[in-house]
Amino acid sequence: MKFDVIIIGGGLAGMTAATALQEAGLRCAIVAEGLSLQNAPRRGFSAAGGTLLAGDRVVSGRFAGDRLVAVRTEKLGDVELEAENFVLATGKYFSRGLVADMDKVYEPLFGLDVEYDEDRSKWFDPSFAAPQKFLEFGVKCEGGKAVKDGKAIANLYPAGEVLAGVTSAQGDATEAIVKSAVEAVNAIWRK
Amino acid sequence: MEEIVMQETNISAKNFEQCQKCSLCETVCPVMANNPKYAGPKRSGPDGERYRLKNGIFFEDSLKYCLNCKRCEVACPSGVRIADLIQQARIDYGRKAPKLRDVMLASTDQVGPLASAFAPLANFSLGLSPVKGLMDLTIGVDKHRTLPKYASETFVHWFKKNAAAAQEAFGKQISYFHGCYANYNYPQLGKDFVAVMNAFGIGVQLIDGERCCGVAKIANGMIAAATRDAKINIGAFGKSVKEGRDIVTVSTTCTLTLLEEYPELLKVDNSAVRDHISLVEQYLYKGIASGALKPVWKEGFKARAAYHCPCHQERLGWGIFTTELLKMIPGMELIELESNCCGIAGTYGFKKENYKVSQAIGKPLFDNILAVAPDYVACECETCKWQIEMSTGVPVKNPVSILAEALDLEKTAKANR
Repeated sequence: MKFDVIIIGGGLAGMTAATALQEAGLRCAIVAEGLSLQNAPRRGFSAAGGTLLAGDRVVSGRFAGDRLVAVRTEKLGDVELEAENFVLATGKYFSRGLVADMDKVYEPLFGLDVEYDEDRSKWFDPSFAAPQKFLEFGVKCEGGKAVKDGKAIANLYPAGEVLAGVTSAQGDATEAIVKSAVEAVNAIWRK
Repeated sequence: MEEIVMQETNISAKNFEQCQKCSLCETVCPVMANNPKYAGPKRSGPDGERYRLKNGIFFEDSLKYCLNCKRCEVACPSGVRIADLIQQARIDYGRKAPKLRDVMLASTDQVGPLASAFAPLANFSLGLSPVKGLMDLTIGVDKHRTLPKYASETFVHWFKKNAAAAQEAFGKQISYFHGCYANYNYPQLGKDFVAVMNAFGIGVQLIDGERCCGVAKIANGMIAAATRDAKINIGAFGKSVKEGRDIVTVSTTCTLTLLEEYPELLKVDNSAVRDHISLVEQYLYKGIASGALKPVWKEGFKARAAYHCPCHQERLGWGIFTTELLKMIPGMELIELESNCCGIAGTYGFKKENYKVSQAIGKPLFDNILAVAPDYVACECETCKWQIEMSTGVPVKNPVSILAEALDLEKTAKANR
């Protein structure tokens, strides 16, 4: 199946980017687990002709050179979803955009480069109310593009909380989330 | 002091310890919104499980209100198999024997042959209001419900008489799991399936000794009977796969049962045949997309259809195969309805105690359909069809039947020779 843009994740960043791109006339598909696809934006996206793969999740990507060519999902099995561009809006730990194990923090879908502190003792402050460093971790970005093994991926745009430095758990980050989504939209639209 | 070892991964059945109490499942549960007697998926599922694991006396009878639509599982961000936890608890702790009515509703392949044999009489009498009133009073099948019609000739009987001999001519062969509905209630669906497959150059074989998938028996507590049928089906599928034929199904609920409920609830291992089972829309989409199957569409075909994605299709995540397939048809205007349970959930909505809740659950969908006012609703599920036709008056067509209408069968057959 071919699309212009595939948006991975349907939270605030994913829905913002997807609705804007779909309404601009690009053929978009969202792959999103859970109820992150809230009703109102979901309706707008569907009404504009967008494709929703609700309750499904991306499990792997196929890369060619510096580009992401296609993704596979848990439920569609060997049927690939291809697109010109991809938006990664998978959020942080709860939505598994990031996974923390005992010694590292990683991005589980594509193995993208993640900004985090290698010293685990610095990940958190024992005081519950203090700012928590692990909430600042996230995928690396170069000119709006995701980075894998030190090189920017030319058509993969992270947006929202999956990004390093963007977090809603401490104060309101709506502006930062929407801003990163709009930046991804602009980058794709300018192409 | 004993060393405390951190448990890093999930070790519980059905992922239940992954529940983070976020309550997203409660916001999508169609029953919880309409029936105050139901505690909802979180409390009936993972929360209740913590108590039940301590002691079975914590099992609550209200779990029977779960209609097993699995929308909670689609919504869960943590992959907890909430509906499976509820169904498993009913199997493990439910102590009440199924009522006569439940046995009758669930025994589709025992009642089916009888009702088909006396179809004109059965259809006539089941449509009479005194009979409906009596059934309402005596066994608790709601009198407002239009009961499914039975066909006087089953699909299997028709197939053996009219189609079986012609199948050997095709190079490629599949096995068709027709299910109870196509066999006893609506053989036209099976006939359309054979016509479409044959047009694509694919021969259709029956499954040796096919049994009901068992979903209605699971829902009504007849686990031993369901397990027996499941083992027979999996054995027959194995034989078919060995002979080089994959299994193709038409019912989303049968498919979900064969793929998920067999290993998860009945503990019947399907791993040897699992990857060889596909839903017809998935099978055709893959074939057409890869270029292996070449459709030739009728000229001048025109239809305005509204697609209703059945709950179990949502759970499978395969609705996109149906919509992509239907969008290929020139002259098809396809409107995707907002995702909403129709409320029938197999035998659930036939029960007197569930009728009102069932109709309340489906109301947003019925309103949506009436507002769209399509020529017909496209939907893969047989019980959704009964519910939508009864509640809106709008006809419902299976995508396979739509394809049979939209394809130029003769030209397609030539193109796929």
